[in-house]
Amino acid sequence: MPDQQRQPEGHVGSLVISALFVIMGIVALYDTTGYYDRDSQVFPRTVAILMILTAGLSLVTRFLHPRESGGFGTGTWWRRVLLILAMFAGSLAIPHIGFLASGAIAFTGGLIAAMHDRWTVMTAALYAGSGAAVIIAFFALFRYVLHVPLP
Amino acid sequence: MLKRTFLKMGAALAVTASLASGASAAELNGPVNYIIPFGPGGESDISARFQQPFFKDKFGQDLVISYQPGGGGAVAWATLNGLSDDGQTIMGVNLPHIIIKPAQKDVGFKTEDLKVFHMFHFTPDAIIVRADSPYMTLEDLVEDAKANPAQVTISGSGKATANHLAHIKFDKMADIQTTYVPFKGTGAAVTALLGNQVKAEWGYSTVAATQGEEVRMLAVAMEERHPLFPDVPTFKELGYDMVGGAYRGIALPKSASDEVTGMWSDMIAEINNDPAFRQQMLDNGFAMLDVEAAGMEDFMAARSEEYLNDAREAGLIE
Amino acid sequence: MEFGHFLSALTPFNLVLALFGVVAGTIVGSIPGLTATMALAVLVPITFSMDPASALILLGAIYTGAIYGGAYAAILLNTPGTPSAIATTFDGYPMAKRGDGDLAVALACFASVVGGLVGAFALLLLAPPLSKVALAFGPIEYFWLSIFGLSLIASLSTGNLMKGLAGGAFGMLLSTVGVAEVSADIRLTFGSQMLVGGFGVIGALIGLYCIPVLIDLVATPDRHLKVEEDVRSVRIGEAFRIAARSKFNLIRSSVIGTLIGILPGAGGSVAGLVAYSEAKRTARPDQKFGQGEPDGILATESANNATVGGGFIPTLVLGIPGTPPDAIVLGALLVQGVRTGPTMFSQSGSIVYTFIYGLLIATVLMLPAGLLIGRYAYKSIVNIPKAVLVPTVGFMTIIGTFSIRNSVTDVILMLGLGVFGWVVGRFGFAASPIVLGLILGPIAEQGFVQGWTIGSATGNLFGMFFGRSISQGIIAFTLLSLFLPLYTAWRQRKKPQEQS
Repeated sequence: MPDQQRQPEGHVGSLVISALFVIMGIVALYDTTGYYDRDSQVFPRTVAILMILTAGLSLVTRFLHPRESGGFGTGTWWRRVLLILAMFAGSLAIPHIGFLASGAIAFTGGLIAAMHDRWTVMTAALYAGSGAAVIIAFFALFRYVLHVPLP
Repeated sequence: MLKRTFLKMGAALAVTASLASGASAAELNGPVNYIIPFGPGGESDISARFQQPFFKDKFGQDLVISYQPGGGGAVAWATLNGLSDDGQTIMGVNLPHIIIKPAQKDVGFKTEDLKVFHMFHFTPDAIIVRADSPYMTLEDLVEDAKANPAQVTISGSGKATANHLAHIKFDKMADIQTTYVPFKGTGAAVTALLGNQVKAEWGYSTVAATQGEEVRMLAVAMEERHPLFPDVPTFKELGYDMVGGAYRGIALPKSASDEVTGMWSDMIAEINNDPAFRQQMLDNGFAMLDVEAAGMEDFMAARSEEYLNDAREAGLIE
Repeated sequence: MEFGHFLSALTPFNLVLALFGVVAGTIVGSIPGLTATMALAVLVPITFSMDPASALILLGAIYTGAIYGGAYAAILLNTPGTPSAIATTFDGYPMAKRGDGDLAVALACFASVVGGLVGAFALLLLAPPLSKVALAFGPIEYFWLSIFGLSLIASLSTGNLMKGLAGGAFGMLLSTVGVAEVSADIRLTFGSQMLVGGFGVIGALIGLYCIPVLIDLVATPDRHLKVEEDVRSVRIGEAFRIAARSKFNLIRSSVIGTLIGILPGAGGSVAGLVAYSEAKRTARPDQKFGQGEPDGILATESANNATVGGGFIPTLVLGIPGTPPDAIVLGALLVQGVRTGPTMFSQSGSIVYTFIYGLLIATVLMLPAGLLIGRYAYKSIVNIPKAVLVPTVGFMTIIGTFSIRNSVTDVILMLGLGVFGWVVGRFGFAASPIVLGLILGPIAEQGFVQGWTIGSATGNLFGMFFGRSISQGIIAFTLLSLFLPLYTAWRQRKKPQEQS
């Protein structure tokens, strides 16, 4: 369930996201005009209109009755960004440097992002070691037991 | 009893051993990845499964089948040229899919991108009705459709597919108007037929083989009658010039060398020539095809022309 | 005669296989992205070299174990390991967060065993008559079933109904992206080849559920799951008492699961959602569904395991597989020369019955195996330091999503959807309505288009949509679950003194 923290950005953010859904609905509606087959149009059209209506209604009610619920909450931004960037970077690198190395990139990024305690030589060695074990174990499982052609 | 148990334990050990050796063999030569661009259970999957034990038997390597459904096969075909071309990876291909899809929009691959080295079977188009249907012959269906335009509902697998093209073609030949109801895959189309949701199904002879007594095949789109159904007439006999269906083969990445392509063409041909394999395929309603790498270009050109014409007339492509 | 089949299923070798299968399946299911389909596809060649019945027992055991294993990730990481476990997250994760993860895992195990047994007994005793259910369901019935599933959005998003509906619509739009499944168009790709294959359900599930959890985990130093200070005894007894008290819920959900399992094209995810919806509709006033209510887990997990037995009914009787794992088993049978279809039970009876008994035995073995693995899974998730847990789970999401179709594109889409889901989730657009739309959208679309086509052809559109008795029944249930909560809320508002 979404946290109900009281945040000043909650009001604006909610409006922005609702507007985003309306826009996405309009874009989808526009896309349906280019289909060959009437059968392909009916459903996305109906659903896009439904999305525009509901998100629009949410926009209007939220505008008339501002509520402060929602928002990004407290927490360190660089950790969130680092985690996501590392995962994106790792995934994009898969075709170029193979799964093991790109897995290491994603893992290291996540490890640094999630590390809230003090680094010591001991923890660094331990965590790096367990990371290597995890990556190699999964790689082996998928590649050699399940025959997934991992690069 | 006890002896049998021991035998089974032995078999289990052998299986474990073969699993273990399979893992280490991966470095040497390795099992072959056979990618099916659809989910399991369809005709592509079943025919690949039939090939699997024969391949192991003849060439000693495992054929590992995996499924990569999505985009009507387009997802897998778009990735084929990024895969290794050393012959360790092969991929199933289907006609008309690999011809129609790239003609519609950019789906990430072109027909020429796929190095199809063997077309090993096809499932002939067929009109199938329930066993208790009032349509005893194809003529009954045509007459009903003439008397009640658009009221004869016929299920089939998807649109811009072999079933759909067959429906369009036959309606035109017989000068009738029937309603085609597309379903997700042959299984769903057959369920709709058996559940009395539609009056007939555009399917394949394989459906009649699976469903046996429950259904009646009115006509089959082959040059000659299918050996499993000696009593079912061909469309040709009934005066409709329809021969065809969904064709299935196997492809390599475009960059594969001629040696690899030739080797694979020979191997699949060898399986295809095994009488036991042929019999198993026929028993399940498939029709055999032996187009090897050498004759592929002519075959594909002829099929392409026909499919693209049909699709253009149906308004599926521009 | 049937007893003989039971004995032949009970050989030590088959027992070992069943146990191995359940354990392997549970592990497979607990890893998001690793599916029973994938494991079975790899194992099918084994069936060529061993006794077909034994091989089938192994496949069935893996399948049923995987459906149960999906609950672990759902409870402990808010990420359904398999689509079947979507509704398990609704109450499982809140339970785990408040420190009841071990209880939730044990509950899931009991429920899965009950559901699996009900489904397997239905397969054993009632398969031919029950297969008629699959045929009675036409396009329109599928359409209304999906609407019933979607109605759950309303009760999931109390206070945020419009946002919930918008999210559901967004999910349905996501489901149309790419090459259309039954019509002949390529939709909403905006010229990008990345989107031609669409959003795979499993990748989307991982993205929408797991990535937000990871993002929230790294942001603060708090522990992942709350752990009680005093070391409590094993909570199997407590779980058993709760399960025994909710026996009616368990049986109803198992029956729902069996029936929906019989419908080809619906599957465990729909069964879990429908059973959850029904459990919620009939809840006692003191039960708080969505906030860690044990009955929510019991309903979902019994229903999804019941679909295993249920799904084999059309597979074996009609030769029409319900789910991808069923389809693989069907393929293995065909290669063995077994003819599925109406005559299978009489002609190939011994293989079929040995298989069904094997499935029953595997389900029973799931009880000790599942409880043991469950405890271990819970302990490791709780004890692993966060700094290792997050990157491990993150790596699993990448490798799991990649393996579904060997596609980096899918991984990128998964991550993108995850970040999007996290952002919109922060402003009241929760993940579950989107996922419901994504899963039920295709069923709704195909049912609607097919029903409309048939209805127009026969000139009876109204009768097509509203005149069929099964449809009317589903519509009635939909209205009931939509308006009953409103009615009770209204009643409670009328006498506000009662609630303090």
